[in-house]
Amino acid sequence: MVEFKNVCKAYENGTLALKNVNLNIDKGEFVFIVGSSGAGKSTFLKLIMREETPTSGEIIINGRRLTELKHKEVPYLRRDMGIVFQDFRLIPKMNVFDNVAFAMRVVGANQRYIKKRVPYVLELLGLKEKAFCFPNELSGGEQQRVGLARALVNNPKIIIADEPTGNVDPRMSFEIVSLLEKINQRGTTILMVTHELFLVKKFPKRLIQINKGEIIHDSKFEEVHYES
Amino acid sequence: MKVSSLKYLLKEGFKNLFNNRLMSFASIGVLTSCLILTGAALLFSLNISSALKSVEDKNSFTVYLNDDLSNLESVRVGEKIKNVNNVESCSFYSKDEAIEQWKDKLGVLFDGLQGNENPLPNVFHVTLTDLSRYSETIAKIQTIEGVHSISDRSETAEKLTQLNNLVTSMGFWIVVILGCISLFIISNTISVTMHSRKLEISIMKSVGATDSFVKIPFMVEGVMIGIISAITSILLLSLVYKTLTLSIEQVIPLSTIPFLSLLGNITLGFILAGITFGLLGGSISIRKYLKKKQG
Ligand SMILES: Nc1ncnc2c1ncn2[C@@H]1O[C@H](COP(=O)(O)OP(=O)(O)O)[C@@H](O)[C@H]1O
Ligand SMILES: [Mg+2]
Repeated sequence: MVEFKNVCKAYENGTLALKNVNLNIDKGEFVFIVGSSGAGKSTFLKLIMREETPTSGEIIINGRRLTELKHKEVPYLRRDMGIVFQDFRLIPKMNVFDNVAFAMRVVGANQRYIKKRVPYVLELLGLKEKAFCFPNELSGGEQQRVGLARALVNNPKIIIADEPTGNVDPRMSFEIVSLLEKINQRGTTILMVTHELFLVKKFPKRLIQINKGEIIHDSKFEEVHYES
Repeated sequence: MKVSSLKYLLKEGFKNLFNNRLMSFASIGVLTSCLILTGAALLFSLNISSALKSVEDKNSFTVYLNDDLSNLESVRVGEKIKNVNNVESCSFYSKDEAIEQWKDKLGVLFDGLQGNENPLPNVFHVTLTDLSRYSETIAKIQTIEGVHSISDRSETAEKLTQLNNLVTSMGFWIVVILGCISLFIISNTISVTMHSRKLEISIMKSVGATDSFVKIPFMVEGVMIGIISAITSILLLSLVYKTLTLSIEQVIPLSTIPFLSLLGNITLGFILAGITFGLLGGSISIRKYLKKKQG
């Protein structure tokens, strides 16, 4: 599903954000990515989403070699991904239904399918009653559930979430990860960056730790020890 | 592209136009001025050309006599003109007749200019049998004693052409400058819309909307600005043209081209120009936006 081969990423200003990263994430895995601030976690996700391109090395996502991917093919790469943001990124002037439907409209889904699919996803995430609320009428946890609904609505193969619980209180964080787990059980691969150790401890998943641009631990191959 | 998508994109374009109505209004104003000026210069030029043609087609000209000739002497000169080969007719207009005619038209301005105060000369209106021997005949008439000068049609034509060139070249530069200003304002208007929809654009990209899906609403916004400007300027231009030609025709016996006969071409041209400007403005702002995003 996700394959990195000797990937390095240096930003234009010279910052070396990732150094020689090698890894493999299979279909259906649930992966936590942890590491201190500035370690390169977001860069790692941006490379997968093709928001950034690697300086060297090779990335293969879902059979697509990103180094050879044409600009025109990027939208189709992204249609296999559901992206969840730390700051939710809901459109304030649209209600919950429209925020979720927006993701379908802009990839050209037809109206009839949208009318069927959106309520289904809202139901799945416990947002049925909130369909006609506006984002400012929702709690942080609810807003992030809408963000999750929007990421899910186009049936992605992989969900990519960069600190999705960063702006949500701990109880809600727990709930969101539970939802992700539920989605994962239906076969969707999950990649989640987090700061919150209690989540990592509560949900025993594969854990990748990045430090200064390098993968220093990967629970798939070794026991990860937490000092802090 | 699917019909539902097309409808959605059109709707988004209209929304952009409306949500950003103050700047849209400014864009429409400037583009309208640009189109009206282009149209005005064009109409002027077309009218001059048609006037030129009517001057050139006429096989008649005016012979001016020396100022000191009496009416009797003038009639004698007329006899001589009639005898020149190729002259078909030759009719006399005394300066008194001429001044009366001007008085009829312009009234008090010519009061007190009768008799010896009359600045106009006696003239003959001469028509030719064979237009191709025009210059040869004119040369002959020129040699007759008492003839002061001949209104040369080529002179009139030249003056009209000069005026036409002046208006065309001035009009051209004004239109170029206004065109640039229009493009600048349209692209800025659309840039403002794009920035106000930054969030939507970033989400569209993250869920995999194609570039054209992201761009089309902004192009629609530009095209709408263009079409509205085109229609406004056609309406205004027809109004101004009709009023202007009507008042000109009252003073000078000039037949102007009726607006209706040009309406089809002007409409087509204006709408095409409006759409082109809208699309250009849209793509300039999109390019600017994308560049900023990358930088
Ligand atoms: N667009 C950028 N341009 C230059 N440097 C960047 C850019 N984005 C991130 N960085 C740098 O790359 C390093 C890794 O950043 P990031 O991947 O955002 O870390 P994390 O998400 O783990 O906190 C940091 O040193 C950061 O300052
Ligand atoms: Mg980060």
